[in-house]
Amino acid sequence: MTAPAASGRPRLWEQKNPFIAGILAWLIPGAGHFYQGRTVKGVIYLVCIWGLYFGGMRLGEGQVIYQNPAAKGRNRLTLSLMAQLGVGFPTVLTFVQTARAEADNNRTQWRLEEPLVAPFEGTLIGTGPGQLEGSGHLSGTVELQPTEDDLTNETRGKFIGTLNNKPVELELNGGFELERPIAAGQKRRLQISVVPTGNDHPQLTQLIRGTIPRSVVDGFVAPPDPDSLRELNFRLAKTYDLALVFTWIAGLLNVLAIWDCVQGPAYGFGDEEDEDATDTDQKTPVPASEPVTPVAT
Amino acid sequence: MPLWLLAHANVTWYLIPLAMVISLVYSASRYELSEQILRRAIRLFMMIVGLMVGVLIILWLLSLNL
Repeated sequence: MTAPAASGRPRLWEQKNPFIAGILAWLIPGAGHFYQGRTVKGVIYLVCIWGLYFGGMRLGEGQVIYQNPAAKGRNRLTLSLMAQLGVGFPTVLTFVQTARAEADNNRTQWRLEEPLVAPFEGTLIGTGPGQLEGSGHLSGTVELQPTEDDLTNETRGKFIGTLNNKPVELELNGGFELERPIAAGQKRRLQISVVPTGNDHPQLTQLIRGTIPRSVVDGFVAPPDPDSLRELNFRLAKTYDLALVFTWIAGLLNVLAIWDCVQGPAYGFGDEEDEDATDTDQKTPVPASEPVTPVAT
Repeated sequence: MPLWLLAHANVTWYLIPLAMVISLVYSASRYELSEQILRRAIRLFMMIVGLMVGVLIILWLLSLNL
């Protein structure tokens, strides 16, 4: 252990295992500094780097950190992901999520296996006579259950909520399609047909198309569909690019934080110039007085 | 006016918190004392924003007669 600096201030970064500190700093920005007892700097790094990282994720609707879904092997590790890996733990999870997303059981569902109740946001789409009256924005809850009839494999249920801000209840049956559970984004696409009522034109067909929430565990840093990514780029445009930049810069800034954790601050404590100036004053030699020539008596 | 409202008007406003974070983290990696970190971070932030504003003015002047 190195002795404290001449000023008496302890060099906290030298008092703990630098390897452990570096790994902690990589995994969670600021954790290495907390381990070393450098709380203020730990808070700065934690708040700033995570703020930038998760702010970027928020801007990009959770679809900015992923392995390239269209590539194979080493080509999946894009420059973007390498920069984002600077933040450590959240980005490393993308490898786990990619493996989960590519599992055989992660696919679009055409039939429910168990009942589903979830908030729903979307649109009621009509085709045929009377479609204009039978269309609009839907907001409410879907309650769906698999049928037990062996002859048909349809999913049935109902939607309860509002259509264009007016209360409505719709019977649902058939044409069920639910996006695969593990994919990027916090919304999961759902589509199902609406049972015609007696008041509708006999040739009017309606379906509801929208989204239900996806769990954070299934959506966090999961790989997006190419179509979903294309639509996001088109809709968000510059904001999506900025979201990416935020996450890249967060990763690159954490490299500075890790370096500071392992080797200490690059320029020292920050008041060494003042100390040097003070030392210089103290060390300025006092001119010797002229020798006194003894006077002969 | 909250920053998120400004950002809805023009995405360029997001560069301000970005410059703040970069200044703070960079300065924290250079120094250990909190006062020094804050002082240097503020100075660096002013430099970055000043440079961005300067470039913005130059681009605006160049685009006057376009």
